[in-house]
Amino acid sequence: MTFDIYLIFDSIPKMLAGIGMTLHLLFLSSFLGLILGIIILLMRISGRWYLSFPTFAYIYFFRGTPILVQIFVIYHGLPQFEAIRDSVFWPILREPFGCAILALTLNSGAYVSEILRGGYLGVDKGLHEAGKALGLSTPHRFIYVTTPIAVRLAIPAYSNDFISMLKATSLASTITLLEMTGVARTIVAQTFAPYEIFIAAAIIYLVMTWFLQRGFGLFEKRMSRYIKLSEA
Amino acid sequence: MSDLIAWSDDYFWGAMVVLKIFAVSLVMAVAFGLIGATAKLSKSSIANKIASAYTIVFRGVPELLVILIFYYGSAITLTSIGRVFYPQTQFIDIAPFWAGAFAIALIVGSYATETFRGAFLGVDPGIVEAARALGLSNLHTFFYVRVPQMWRLALPSFGNHMLSLMKDTALISIIGLEEIVYVAEMATAVTLKPFTMYMIVALIYLSITTVITLVMMALEKHSNRHLEGAL
Amino acid sequence: MNESDQKPIIILEDVCKFFGDFQALRNINLQVKKGERVVVCGPSGSGKSTMIRCINRLEEHDSGKIFVDGRELTSAVKDIDAVRREVGMVFQSFNLFPHLTAINNLMLALKLVRKTKKSEAREIAMRFLERVHIPEQADKYPSQLSGGQQQRVAIARALCMNPEVMLFDEPTSALDPEMISEVLDVMTDLANEGMTMIVITHEMGFARNVADNIVFMDCGQIVEMKPTDEFFENPESERTKLFLEQIL
Repeated sequence: MTFDIYLIFDSIPKMLAGIGMTLHLLFLSSFLGLILGIIILLMRISGRWYLSFPTFAYIYFFRGTPILVQIFVIYHGLPQFEAIRDSVFWPILREPFGCAILALTLNSGAYVSEILRGGYLGVDKGLHEAGKALGLSTPHRFIYVTTPIAVRLAIPAYSNDFISMLKATSLASTITLLEMTGVARTIVAQTFAPYEIFIAAAIIYLVMTWFLQRGFGLFEKRMSRYIKLSEA
Repeated sequence: MSDLIAWSDDYFWGAMVVLKIFAVSLVMAVAFGLIGATAKLSKSSIANKIASAYTIVFRGVPELLVILIFYYGSAITLTSIGRVFYPQTQFIDIAPFWAGAFAIALIVGSYATETFRGAFLGVDPGIVEAARALGLSNLHTFFYVRVPQMWRLALPSFGNHMLSLMKDTALISIIGLEEIVYVAEMATAVTLKPFTMYMIVALIYLSITTVITLVMMALEKHSNRHLEGAL
Repeated sequence: MNESDQKPIIILEDVCKFFGDFQALRNINLQVKKGERVVVCGPSGSGKSTMIRCINRLEEHDSGKIFVDGRELTSAVKDIDAVRREVGMVFQSFNLFPHLTAINNLMLALKLVRKTKKSEAREIAMRFLERVHIPEQADKYPSQLSGGQQQRVAIARALCMNPEVMLFDEPTSALDPEMISEVLDVMTDLANEGMTMIVITHEMGFARNVADNIVFMDCGQIVEMKPTDEFFENPESERTKLFLEQIL
């Protein structure tokens, strides 16, 4: 066996061709997932059963099944129905990109709503009461008191979820999308040097993870400056 | 409906494969987690660094990529080793089952490392001192005092790791393991009902993860039984 | 300085409150006049806290009637908001908003509830921080302040809404001993300025100095309510005597 260390460095630039697609998948589905997660959370805490019940089913399903299976159900499965093929969504669902975004968004939405809920549950009950005692209305308390604190509490979990999302984008390669892992698999098929190529891809993912962690770390520091200052 | 009945045997055996790989990699993941946590908490800086590198790599690289590296990589390695002894060797393949089980165990083990590390730190040092004062050896203290105490603290997070492990098994179909995702692919080719076939896979996973969740809830209750009535 | 001719600002009539099967308040009757200082004492779990939390509806009473400044407390949101604007509250655990500086803690409700302009809100807030003797801490976050300072900010936060009545729920119980007096001093000043106050506390020295009347509660009932001197010199019920023996 020859392990060609130069092949690792040679293949990195080729692999970068897939980075654009990886980031596109990551940021678009995380953004949509965040919006979806907020909507799901609001439905869940609305106190109306016909709004909260569907969110339970949704979260239960998407947290209880593998993302790969969700992607396959959407990409391979949905065209089984004529109604979908005739619908206005067909141009999106026909494309692997649209399916990947849909699957990742739905998955992320389920996790994000739980993460945010954890943040809100973590806010001290006494602060609600202090807000009430001052005469702040429910929306005012939600916006000015609970949310800033809940967001800070949710950042570590959200940052982990964001990194999970980065890793999940690699699954798009299974439905023919040429993101990083997809590009790596193509190169491996040509060169049959799986160690070098896949390790090169792994290095790029590690660098991206590192940047994301740094970014979230700084954001958390900024958001919790009111705590850190006193400890310093 | 008749399609479902026709394929029910395949799904059943596919599900058995899933459970088997889950059991095997769960045991390995716990072992990796304990080793990793011990290394992270040890005084040896080399052990610290190796353990940190382990968690950074396996938590930062996509699961699918890890599985691909293990599967194709091990094939290449084994083939070249084989050729040293028998130059006429064509190709030695490692079973997807073992490559996959090992890969996902290492991944989940890296998460378990962090969980166990935190839980070990949460164990009251006084209890450990008490055990040492009673004359228990290091090893006995570890397995009879620290691990049981740590386990209670680690259980909630570890439940989530078990769910991840279960869901990661689906990825092994990509390297050709004949489990339920693979069955669905076969069934779709014959029946042309992809939604039905993949949805069955989803429901099988959903029922297994539900059972895991229920078991974890029962375990948590069980492991906290000595605290009942204390508050 | 009993102003017995004045109309009561707070009236509780046969107020009952249940938590599940547990009855936290049993037929509470209480009247507090404008400018009156009432200290509530009693063993823990006696319903003191529940009673004053009903006055600004942090807890809902199950039966009976509560009036604040002539307005009955019902579930109508408008009434609750109106009552909360007139009733300030100070909590045992301060409950300052951790993400806001001291002065922003004061300004938040001024801006949102009173619709005060930012510059004006800042002026008002500063004035009240001066009143509790910590204007120099205005731009610090709660976590950078000592317990005593935090509680004084909390008092200022309630005061700057210009309430008619102040409720204190064990304001010094969470404080280290050396910080208790700085908070009690602020409260004494407030009492001397004529603020209507209901104070739950175990600080009997403060009660003797400041209170017009003392209420003793046990098991969800008002056992005894008397003018301060009389309460200490000649308590009627056995339970009160026992409690005073333990606490003094």
